[in-house]
Amino acid sequence: MAEITTVPFGPQHPVLPEPVHLDLELKDEKVVRAIPSIGYVHRGLEKLVEKRDFKQFTFVAERVCGICSFGHGWGYVKAVEGLMGIEVPRRASYLRTLWHELSRVHSHLLWLGLAADAMGFESLFMTAWRLRETVLDLFEETTGGRVIFSVCKVGGVRRDLTGAMRTEMEEKLKGMRKEFRAMSDVFLHDGTIQSRLAGIGVLSLQDARDFGCLGPMARASGLPLDYRCADDEGAYKDLHFRPVTEQAGDCLARVKVRLEEIEQSVGLILGCLENLPDGPVEVPVKGFPPAGEYFTRVEQPRGEAVYYVKGNGTRNLERFRLRTPTNGNLPGLVKILQGCDLADVPNIILTIDPCISCCER
Amino acid sequence: MSYLTFMKQALGNLFKKPATSPYPLQPKIFQEGVRGHVENDSSRCILCGMCMRTCPAGAITVDRKTGTWRLDPFSCVQCAACVENCPKKCLSMKPEYTAPALKKEAVELQVALPAASQKPALAGRSPAPAAPAAAASAGAMGSQIVNDVSRCICCGMCQRNCPAGAITVDLRERTWRIDLASCVNCDTCITNCPRKCLSLGSYEGNPEEVTLRVPRPKVGKAPAQKGAPDA
Repeated sequence: MAEITTVPFGPQHPVLPEPVHLDLELKDEKVVRAIPSIGYVHRGLEKLVEKRDFKQFTFVAERVCGICSFGHGWGYVKAVEGLMGIEVPRRASYLRTLWHELSRVHSHLLWLGLAADAMGFESLFMTAWRLRETVLDLFEETTGGRVIFSVCKVGGVRRDLTGAMRTEMEEKLKGMRKEFRAMSDVFLHDGTIQSRLAGIGVLSLQDARDFGCLGPMARASGLPLDYRCADDEGAYKDLHFRPVTEQAGDCLARVKVRLEEIEQSVGLILGCLENLPDGPVEVPVKGFPPAGEYFTRVEQPRGEAVYYVKGNGTRNLERFRLRTPTNGNLPGLVKILQGCDLADVPNIILTIDPCISCCER
Repeated sequence: MSYLTFMKQALGNLFKKPATSPYPLQPKIFQEGVRGHVENDSSRCILCGMCMRTCPAGAITVDRKTGTWRLDPFSCVQCAACVENCPKKCLSMKPEYTAPALKKEAVELQVALPAASQKPALAGRSPAPAAPAAAASAGAMGSQIVNDVSRCICCGMCQRNCPAGAITVDLRERTWRIDLASCVNCDTCITNCPRKCLSLGSYEGNPEEVTLRVPRPKVGKAPAQKGAPDA
């Protein structure tokens, strides 16, 4: 009987964009147990809510994560608006939906690139990131920032879309969709990719439910969990949103879900552009958040994030709490790592799309 | 399952223009509206300090005593909150990114305030409250905010918009109070006053704080007479 060897994985590892550490207990080449540990990028951003006023904190909330920054800004202002009883104009809701979906496209393209890179498929990685550049340019033009957008504010959004921007966005997205489909074919049909992903890291539907998995990870196991279905504020109801699901639960299914979601998000953005209502993009905000609590959710590219705020009637909130999707997906990751080959560990870790800076805040 | 599926794209890439640009030979073209760096038009700046208070990163320092406006570009997060809240609109966001630097040097501007708006040296609290008649001298331009109380309705717009929190309006007591030591002379209250009863003037004896009693409007009669506040 072989002895158990412990191999440390991370926090510095070529496939990891962010630091997470795993102790892999191996018997020969098979992982018997994986013990994760986090805490390398904790910045104490939640505590900062006591020092910054509730409007300033929007900028801090956005900086929780560089990839899903718009969603964090939106989640925070949504919670504050709920606490203060502010109703956001419809046009602002549509614009928020549009930018949020655009950031989902950017996040998924970034992830597809990283996944290709983890397999050693460098040219596919470059192709994915070249497509992402189109999305970043669109962001730069419409919001003024490439990664941190600072367009969400309590009471609406800070910028409006002009007619020219709308036309350009439509054209660029349609062009990008064509190129994306060609790239998508490689992910779906290439033999090398199939052999690295199909049947690897299988998470059953029951396990996905038991371990509380979220986002694309849960949806790849056939669990149709998507907060966008229940979202009242955004434009999802008007656009008849339906979540994307896959049944296999393996790494390939998680890639397929994300590929499909990019197509869907581009569709949602084009829908938002077509049905963009007229009117103001913000309402004036008077006073401070009253004493009370409010919690809300946003479907981030990695899954559902929960936002909680507690006000005390002053300009500073008393508490801000954020539960991010990576938190929910780590137990599932530990489960799927059990029994896999050491060589597949990087791929499996990447397919949960870990975002550790969100997770630790 | 098939192999070499990427070949078509890889060969196609050979005949395409490169996706990257040869920086720095070809400088980056910034689109309009990009948040690159903050600039201050010091000729219009009144050192009110609103930018310093709204900056979430604490990158701006305003010192009225030495007349300096200081921005640390390495702390600035380009959120444009200062630009949005500047009462004089002297701050603006320019699209070019700050150039890389070897030393972390701050941008420091000397702002020359107009002589009239320089705060008088406050030797001490004036013993008697300022004469409300000072409001009548508003015609002679001064640097202090005066209130023509005969037109004032205690709506509180000045209090709400004051970036320095220098004005307190009490509708119940019918008093209008200004803390002249905190007032930054930004004129925001004057611009926002719906009754146009606020103006620039001066109080006698350079008081630190002025409290004015606002007369009740007479019901069913012509508007109250000017220049007769019952203090």
